[in-house]
Amino acid sequence: MFIQTQPMSDPDSLRFLPGQPVLPGTVMKMADRSEAVTSPLATALFDVEGVASVTLGPDYIVVGKKGMAWDHLKPMLLGLITDHFVRGAPVIRSGSPAREPETEDPLATAVRHALETVIDPELGYNIVGLGLVYAVAIDKDGTAAITMTTTTPGCPATNYLRNGAYQAAVGVEGIDDAEVVLTYDPPWEPEMMSQEARAWLGF
Amino acid sequence: MHGVALSRWTMSYFAAALAALMAAEVLMAAGYGFPSAPLRAPETLLLVHLVAIGWLSLLLCGALFQFVPVLVARPLFSNMLPLPTLVLLLAGLVALLMGFLQLGGALGAWPWLLPVAASLLAGGFMLALYNLGRTLWAARPLPLPARFVAVALVFLAATIALGALFSSAFAGLVTSDALLRIAGEGVGLHAVAGIGGWLTFTAMGVSYRLLAMFMLAPETDGSRPRAVFGLGTAALGVAVLGGVILVVFDMPSGLALIAGGAAGLAGIALYGADMAMLYRKRKRRVIELNSQMAAWALAYFFASIALALILIGLGVFYDHIGAVVFLLAFGWLSGLGLAKLYKIVAFMTWLECYGPVLGRMPTPRVQDLVVEGPARKWFVLYFLSVLAATAALLGQHILGFRLAAGLMVVATALIAAHLVRTRRLAGIGLAGGVRRPHLFLPGPEPAQP
Repeated sequence: MFIQTQPMSDPDSLRFLPGQPVLPGTVMKMADRSEAVTSPLATALFDVEGVASVTLGPDYIVVGKKGMAWDHLKPMLLGLITDHFVRGAPVIRSGSPAREPETEDPLATAVRHALETVIDPELGYNIVGLGLVYAVAIDKDGTAAITMTTTTPGCPATNYLRNGAYQAAVGVEGIDDAEVVLTYDPPWEPEMMSQEARAWLGF
Repeated sequence: MHGVALSRWTMSYFAAALAALMAAEVLMAAGYGFPSAPLRAPETLLLVHLVAIGWLSLLLCGALFQFVPVLVARPLFSNMLPLPTLVLLLAGLVALLMGFLQLGGALGAWPWLLPVAASLLAGGFMLALYNLGRTLWAARPLPLPARFVAVALVFLAATIALGALFSSAFAGLVTSDALLRIAGEGVGLHAVAGIGGWLTFTAMGVSYRLLAMFMLAPETDGSRPRAVFGLGTAALGVAVLGGVILVVFDMPSGLALIAGGAAGLAGIALYGADMAMLYRKRKRRVIELNSQMAAWALAYFFASIALALILIGLGVFYDHIGAVVFLLAFGWLSGLGLAKLYKIVAFMTWLECYGPVLGRMPTPRVQDLVVEGPARKWFVLYFLSVLAATAALLGQHILGFRLAAGLMVVATALIAAHLVRTRRLAGIGLAGGVRRPHLFLPGPEPAQP
């Protein structure tokens, strides 16, 4: 298994790309160990001295540090992440609020496919591939709860994208209503794009 | 507050601005104003204000009504004010141009014309300042690009104040010795406040955000951009405010310009490093035409500064100041303006037409609204024409300048034709109730979700 790392604009954060799904369709940001109880992977990362925050994304893990040098931390984190995925251990414990990748509701998957018809006008790629859709969940009443972001706060396309996501979701059979929530926490970064989107944009 | 609305009148500002640019280029090609006439001749003043107010200021005002809200992620204070602002600015511009025609003897003697023009222009710019100022004020603390705009608006106010003073003095409405001294010797300060403080400082601030957005480059908010902002603000403050104080006390304002120029040079050098870093660290390796052409404009900016330094070193700066100002106005400010227009017109047209149907039907990309290949050669022609015109000015070759200006007319007209093509959604099938937008007037009602 080969894990890529990418530096981020914040020098105290480092992105790890294990080359396989981590938390498809959602992003979990954990500021300390108490918030990581649902994730064995995040808990293990917090056990490493110097780790201050952990974010699990669709195909990445972002680790924030405090005080320690990356030269010291990075080998330990790489070893831990490799071991976790090689063992096939779950990213999220069964029954936890955040869904496991392989158990996503088929209706949520259908909504996600529908959202792929909504393109970001500026980048010209669909909002799912760009990593703008953080989470899709379906409640018992058939309401789709979509958590998404835009590439930049204040973008004139924001309301159109939110409305477009709503329209795409309610067009899915079995979805009666949708609630689209915009968030800028975490802020979108180009690294959140899928490999296909990156390749399409010439990264 | 996450999203901001489409600015309804921005496209009208752009259309008026482009018309003014083309009119100015036609006049230059026809041999009207500098270099066919002296630098301070009424004909040259007409040309300069047609470019500075008619083209560049209308372009910036229209763009700022749309992009200040983007910079601060808050709505514009008033969406009603841009229309009366535009009407006042256009009326003031027409009156001002007529005032210069009268100065040149082409019209009868109407001494009230220039003060009326100044009042109309001041009214229009004050409305713009009020609208943008209230938007920025409500968004404090401001992100760095918005702080550039805030300072630029202060220098817009200074430029208007000096211009109003000139026209009042000309009409014999000023009696104070100090004000008369400023009116007599403040033309350089008026130009520095306008070209440097208002136009260039706005362009610098907005370029930090727009280039990062369009090229997916990391936003720069570290110590170097803050130093650019600090040095630039100090440089402009020393040059303009210091210059006015020196003139009031009957001392040469050149001292303030030299002091401000030194700080300004340091700021421009750091700005150059920031722009180079934005291009180098961009995630989007294949960049769009607007970003490619913005690089030409930036290169012309630094070239004009280098040219000024060389001319100062040779002791012939004042002999060739027209060439330096021309390169700044047409290579840097107009080049950047045209490059960004190419992007912004397509982006706003897409939002107007396809934003409301997003999620209901397949939509084209913004890039589908433009054809970059054919447009590229007109941009290249524009920039090469500007270079040739600058060389002709340096060589004092009037016919060469007029020929180069003629090529600028051709290039600008063809770039404008591409913008019209984009507005007409040429080459894109209309489906699902999507309608062609008006060319430069807003639709009957805002197309907001």
